[in-house]
Amino acid sequence: MTTSTATIAPLALRDLTVSVPDGRERRVLLDGVDLDVAAGEVLVVTGPSGSGKSTLLAMAGLLRQPPAGDVLVAGFPTASLSRRRLTALRRDHIGIVYQSANLLSPLTAREQLELAGHIRRRPRREVRAHADQLLEELGLADRADQLPSQLSGGERQRVGIGRALMGSPTVLLADEPTASLDPALATEVAGLLAAEAHARGVATVIVTHDDAPLRHADRHLHLAAGRLVDGGPVAS
Amino acid sequence: MFLARRDLRRTWRRFVLVGAVVALVAVLSTVLAGLADGLVRDGTSGLRALPYTHLALEPGAEAVFSRSTLTEAAADEFRSIPGAEVSPLGVSFVNAASTSGGASLDLALFGVPAGSFLADRQDAQDALAGEPGLVLSSTFADEGVKVGDVYRLGGSDVTLPVVGFTIAGSYGHVPIAFTSLSTWQSIAYGSDARGRVSAIALKLPAGSADATAAAAAASGTEVITKSRSYDGSPGFTAETTTMTLIRGFLLVISALIVGAFFTVLAVQRTRQTGLLKAMGASDAYVLRDGIGQMGVVVVGATAVGTGVGAVMVALLANTAAPVELSFTSIALSAALLIVTGLVGSLVSFRRITTVEPAIALGVEN
Repeated sequence: MTTSTATIAPLALRDLTVSVPDGRERRVLLDGVDLDVAAGEVLVVTGPSGSGKSTLLAMAGLLRQPPAGDVLVAGFPTASLSRRRLTALRRDHIGIVYQSANLLSPLTAREQLELAGHIRRRPRREVRAHADQLLEELGLADRADQLPSQLSGGERQRVGIGRALMGSPTVLLADEPTASLDPALATEVAGLLAAEAHARGVATVIVTHDDAPLRHADRHLHLAAGRLVDGGPVAS
Repeated sequence: MFLARRDLRRTWRRFVLVGAVVALVAVLSTVLAGLADGLVRDGTSGLRALPYTHLALEPGAEAVFSRSTLTEAAADEFRSIPGAEVSPLGVSFVNAASTSGGASLDLALFGVPAGSFLADRQDAQDALAGEPGLVLSSTFADEGVKVGDVYRLGGSDVTLPVVGFTIAGSYGHVPIAFTSLSTWQSIAYGSDARGRVSAIALKLPAGSADATAAAAAASGTEVITKSRSYDGSPGFTAETTTMTLIRGFLLVISALIVGAFFTVLAVQRTRQTGLLKAMGASDAYVLRDGIGQMGVVVVGATAVGTGVGAVMVALLANTAAPVELSFTSIALSAALLIVTGLVGSLVSFRRITTVEPAIALGVEN
């Protein structure tokens, strides 16, 4: 293999095809999708509800193995990997930001981040320091000991971003990260997400039907009829 | 247990119900263990107190004295075993009616020869060495029976005075009374005793198995161990079987309750489990967290319930209730409850392992 590591895209989709049952027939959600996301690039994927955006994200995040095609993470083909290897790849390379943050109710903001470090079996002290540093960067230092129920929507989403970054991922995926926020907060959160992605050189895919992330995107693709097409200009 | 520990600390109310049920089962299980031990003690304490190691009985008697009839001559075969102590023993249940109009007594009457190693307490030896009479369990003294009181023994014309008291325990829940073997024979067989006895009690030295087998064959008897001899105590098998059955049902109920609770919890946590897996947690990590949480709930609730149950048993032990506080038995009961509780919770594990990480994104197909 002659390709240098510098040219390997942290995330690549190859001929990804997914269909789901729809009555007696099958509906194609992804139809031979090919995609490369470069390190530090923020890609925004838009599309109508039910177009397969979340399915695309589930495949890209190795949460589900594609029935056809392949997902390459850090250059590793994953189609034939075992469940166990997929879990390890997910742990080592992928961070996910969810719609409505998806925080665990019994954990404080700091513990949400620490959990990610605990799953990676990192030393406790190192995990605590990393979590505090991230919370500081995200402007949440004074909210570290609050439970999700004590945080505002914007704060919860920032904690979700922190949790996704806790494992120092090479790929960051965000599913409608601004959908549950008011416009001002949506812009703030989308900006924060993009800034962190650029600063850390993380290949980032944001699926959304919201305009806010587009203002911070490097590239915009639109998912329609199972295919990714140019979604139009981005703010930059 | 990073998540489980914090979940228990901050949402402990969710576990109160299942914890309370497990604790109540532990209370009941502990009290039943105390009751089972107490009943066994009450039914066999007389035999346990006697210093024999084996009994020779009529073959097929299955440790039941009333099914065994031997003659004193059978004892001679065992006397040839070096170091063995041998004593003929007559056992029967009788009613003793007071000749002075007092309350009648139900007695497990043990007939032993004077000087028998079975009546090892000096007070019993002294009482049996004199005129024929009854040496009663000391519990009767507490009820107002006095030395010199005369009783007519049911089914015979024999009247006997009370000649003393000893700590004799009970047999088949009936207090034991000692009398001389000849007196017992006259009560059981009248004037036609012909040396008949119920059994030969043996105190055998170690390493005498071959000699004992030879003596048993020569005397036409079957030799059983002391612990095996308890099985013939009236009600012993029925009581222990019933108690074991009830305790078994309790364990099954506990396992089902714990299993149902954690299965519901696992279903409620489907998205959380998916999220953990999406974050890169392995099945083993998620299971460890779940098992740890179940363990804390089941062990904690069992410990509390067992403690409360032990206090109840200790209080009951001061009453007429046949209970006994045995650490080993209670610890075993608690351990069984913990094991079955955890086994019950295993049914939820399948649910946990089959959750797909894509659930975290709401993708289900």
